[in-house]
Amino acid sequence: MLTTLATLAGLALAQQTDTTVPVRAGARLEVNNFGGDITVKTWSKSAVRIAASHSSRDHITIEASDQVVRVKSEGRGGPSHVVDYDFTVPAAMALSLSGVYTDISVEGSEGEITAETVQGTVKVSGGAGNVSLKSVQGDVTLEKAHGRIDLSSVNETITASQISGDLSAETVNGDISLVQIESANAEANTVNGDVVYDGTIKDGGRYRFSTHDGDLRVSVPDKSNVSVSVSTFNGDFSACFPIQLTSSKTKHRFGFTIGSGSARLEVESFDGDIRLCRPGQLSKDKERDKDHDQDHDQDQEEE
Amino acid sequence: MSDNWTNRLSEYLDGDLPASERPALEVHLQGCGDCRATLQQLRRVVARAQGLDDSPPAADLWPAIAQHMGVVSLDARRARRRLSFTVPQLAAAAVALVLLSGGSAWLALRGRSTGPTPQQAVMDRNPVITTAGTYEANPRYAAAVADLERVLARGRSRLDTATVRVIEKNLGIIDRAIRDAQSALAADPANSYLNQHLAQEMRRKLELLRQAATLTGTRT
Repeated sequence: MLTTLATLAGLALAQQTDTTVPVRAGARLEVNNFGGDITVKTWSKSAVRIAASHSSRDHITIEASDQVVRVKSEGRGGPSHVVDYDFTVPAAMALSLSGVYTDISVEGSEGEITAETVQGTVKVSGGAGNVSLKSVQGDVTLEKAHGRIDLSSVNETITASQISGDLSAETVNGDISLVQIESANAEANTVNGDVVYDGTIKDGGRYRFSTHDGDLRVSVPDKSNVSVSVSTFNGDFSACFPIQLTSSKTKHRFGFTIGSGSARLEVESFDGDIRLCRPGQLSKDKERDKDHDQDHDQDQEEE
Repeated sequence: MSDNWTNRLSEYLDGDLPASERPALEVHLQGCGDCRATLQQLRRVVARAQGLDDSPPAADLWPAIAQHMGVVSLDARRARRRLSFTVPQLAAAAVALVLLSGGSAWLALRGRSTGPTPQQAVMDRNPVITTAGTYEANPRYAAAVADLERVLARGRSRLDTATVRVIEKNLGIIDRAIRDAQSALAADPANSYLNQHLAQEMRRKLELLRQAATLTGTRT
């Protein structure tokens, strides 16, 4: 009964905002939401639809000019309560989305995206030009973007797939997975986690992947031209294909060249293993490791 | 990237590279993203250093860092406005830049405060987020870290407890990495990988502290 009454009270207080504003080409959308969701989808109209579900005690403010549509929520005398936004925007519209207790989701964008949250996930499909996604306590996921990509988390994982362009990914306590990447400049580093890069090694490109306590798995396509520098302190190195060392300072620091060596690949793991394979082999390796881990767990349980 | 070119970039930047060699370097730069990035870093360092010449900061963070990283004195270089760095030195310089910007963030945030409340004073004496004992060898770095930690201590009440826990946990992870690198370097001081790794983790710690300090200015 109490639950029913609470639900009815909640319904009574719930309020919907639903409005559409026309926008010119080149305008950007700026949203700040203290808590709740920000969901963005795209359409072919030159307009922004703003649908928000919020408490009647909160007020949604929309400021629209030729350059920007700015949306924010305010409570009575303080931060707003949970507001769930659903935006529909022109595909090319630049997006600047931020929040604190906020999950951010974008689908189908063909414009620049900046998304930042503290406790929440960032999940984006699409994006072009500068794409910057950041969360402190949430996963960051990006797919089908091209341009200059900057992905950052602190305590969670970063996943990127079907990306083309310059790519930078950094977290502290989490894995980084970069697959189906077409880049001449890619960098990923974490302190406590694994790094996987499955993508192109372009002539003249620059690639750097590092972790402190984790494994690195990097794909090197057949017929690549790359100078590889390997550094570990406590880890092992292996490759799915034959290599011939060209320089070796110690068994943990050495280099080798494939083809003309015009690209540069640096792989560094202080306390983990480094493995180079051909594209597509990395996922097989991962599955094999997963099976191995499961077998190991079963063995331990049986013991 | 060729070490030869790396060592010539500062000459190029200073205009001291012989005219006969400039075209070759410029051609090389067009095809070498790494060299361009290094040159860009050098420009930033030079710009910062020149700024410091004109308006000396209250606390110059560079000498202690340079000493810690085994870098020769920068003072003489500044005097003749000629800067020559190797890659390990650039790694140290990157940390220095973060220190400077971290200090700026601290100053900006400190400017907002109206003085410590009794509760804040207690937190100042007992900072929640602390990593004391890691950087005895580098007092200025330690001071910069301590400054940012104080900002966090003051702003702790504005942060969600879960966020505080996450920040503490991740600072601990970075500190462990720094200690690992320091221990490894003690056994192999000439290891360039370990030097760069240590510099990277030190930079990362300052960036996380700065990020956390910025969060205290937002509502969580």
